[in-house]
Amino acid sequence: MALSSQTALEPTVFAMLALGPGARDEYQRALRCLLDCQNPNGSWPGFIGDDTEGAWTTALALIALANHLEEVRSRRQGFRWLLQCAGKESSWLWRWKFRTADRHVRFDSRKFGWPWQPETNSWVVPTAFAILALDHLPASWAVEHSELRLQRGIEMLLDRVCPAGGWNAGNSVVYGRALAPHPDDTAIALLAMKNRSDLSAVRRSLAWLEDNSSSLSAPWSLAWSALALAAHSRCVRRLLSSLAEQVCPIDIGDNATLAVLALALDWERSLPLLAS
Amino acid sequence: MSVSITRRELLVGGAAVATGVSASAPFFRPRYRIDRRPRRSRVALLRLEDYTRPMDELLYQGLCLFPLKVQGKTVLLKPNLVDYIPGNAINTHQRLVVASAEAFRRLGARKVVVGEGAGHQRDTQLVLSESSYEQELTLARIPFVDLNRDEVQRRPLDASYTDLDYLWLPRTVLESDFIVSMPKVKAHHWSGVTLSMKNMFGVVPGQKYGWPKNILHWRGIHQSILDICATVPIHFVIADGVMAMEGDGPLNGSPRPLRTVVLADDPVAADATCARLMGFEPDRIPHIRESSRFLGNSSPALIDQAGEVLCRPEVPFQVVPEFQHIRADEKQSLLEGSEAEPASRMDAVTRRCRVG
Repeated sequence: MALSSQTALEPTVFAMLALGPGARDEYQRALRCLLDCQNPNGSWPGFIGDDTEGAWTTALALIALANHLEEVRSRRQGFRWLLQCAGKESSWLWRWKFRTADRHVRFDSRKFGWPWQPETNSWVVPTAFAILALDHLPASWAVEHSELRLQRGIEMLLDRVCPAGGWNAGNSVVYGRALAPHPDDTAIALLAMKNRSDLSAVRRSLAWLEDNSSSLSAPWSLAWSALALAAHSRCVRRLLSSLAEQVCPIDIGDNATLAVLALALDWERSLPLLAS
Repeated sequence: MSVSITRRELLVGGAAVATGVSASAPFFRPRYRIDRRPRRSRVALLRLEDYTRPMDELLYQGLCLFPLKVQGKTVLLKPNLVDYIPGNAINTHQRLVVASAEAFRRLGARKVVVGEGAGHQRDTQLVLSESSYEQELTLARIPFVDLNRDEVQRRPLDASYTDLDYLWLPRTVLESDFIVSMPKVKAHHWSGVTLSMKNMFGVVPGQKYGWPKNILHWRGIHQSILDICATVPIHFVIADGVMAMEGDGPLNGSPRPLRTVVLADDPVAADATCARLMGFEPDRIPHIRESSRFLGNSSPALIDQAGEVLCRPEVPFQVVPEFQHIRADEKQSLLEGSEAEPASRMDAVTRRCRVG
């Protein structure tokens, strides 16, 4: 696949987490880039030059900054934006619409999370990353509504789980038909549910991912699967061997995938950075 | 009886009329800033029984029915690559994409690229490998660009159906000289059909708009289709109707063979023709109806047809209940007003185009 030369937040954050502060120059450059591109409203853009309204990548930036306790102002502004950003179905008007007139997608609109961009619905991946980011919110900051939003986000993920376990983008049943889960979406949601292995939806999803990840060959899905299964204390030796054998890093076209691959191969170090 | 109007009443009445006119004017003003309709459009229907048959020569001969000028140009093939569910006719078949790429190379294209930005699936590599695209494209040395993660540029819209002023669009799309929309012919539960114009949702990048590109749903699917297609011109259409999909498309419908590849130099003509092949009335599909005002021709009277004869099916394609009204009421002749060329004359047409 062809490469892009535009700086985007997703690969930047995953690269920061994969490299760690040990890679002094590269890490510092990425950190500077991250701090410099924060929007005036506290959010982060999807890429350099993006509109300034904010994007789901705000959660990623906050995860990357979790160990930078000195960046108090930047993080506080980021968390404030994240907590006031919600799926459009959180407003009573749209909730009413989804409960009365627009019922082809089965979901409970009272359970809302985070959108990819403002003024749209909640979806699984941005909600999972927002939950992971909020897990890094210092308790001493006592930010209003944080507990409530966290709870709503978890409820939303549980509401959107596919009938056979696992998650896709966020539509589990449409027109009465179950849609298939995706390995990467499932894995990212499971990371957000790291401390909730006892829930039946989580157990079902873990089983689905275990059954389906062994046959994967795509590095992005394989790497996320390994991280999620490791987070839930499953053995990932085979998956990692598969990653190491099947995937040649030189063949990987995009840096986000390359960084997630590195995170998976070094999961014992990287998991606490992603899911505290 | 005489009616007298005072000067004051005249002024008040005049002001009321002026206010009404200025308030309602925006609703009557066209929402497009371009008119790309050709005087006449050309569509060719090619018969292809299934994907195991040789199709390189068929595609090439089909393209020769059109006076295409692609020499030295960069051609972007935009298939419909959504997800992979074994047994479901979801994606434009990879062999058709490869055959199209080879045909454009034979016609002198400088570079042929395949690009897609899947709507729900973030792992493009997974869809590529599971759907066998990766193997086929690698074998034929055809580069693939993930439009969801390509470099993006801000582009003002050439229509205002969504009231979005601009979209961020992939550089690969904006820098291509010749864009070929290659939809899978399918019924769609939100838009009635997904054909060459709806297929262009895939050029909207996920890295900006997410997976799915939910802003387009909030702004209206038909409206978004119109804005995207006004801004990103489709130069040619190769629609995969060999194995189409009816019912609850784009993912959970049922395969339905049409055994046809539709070629067209006008996306509106292509979509109207595909809709007729599916047993639908194109003018009942909002984005096809509206696009025929400025993007192309939907009327059979303005479409020159080559190749196979266009026939409505005995039973129209199944659709979800909300779109029952798009199904044609009864079997009709579709040749009225068109210049259809029967299959037997295809070779003659091909020869004529070559000479011309």
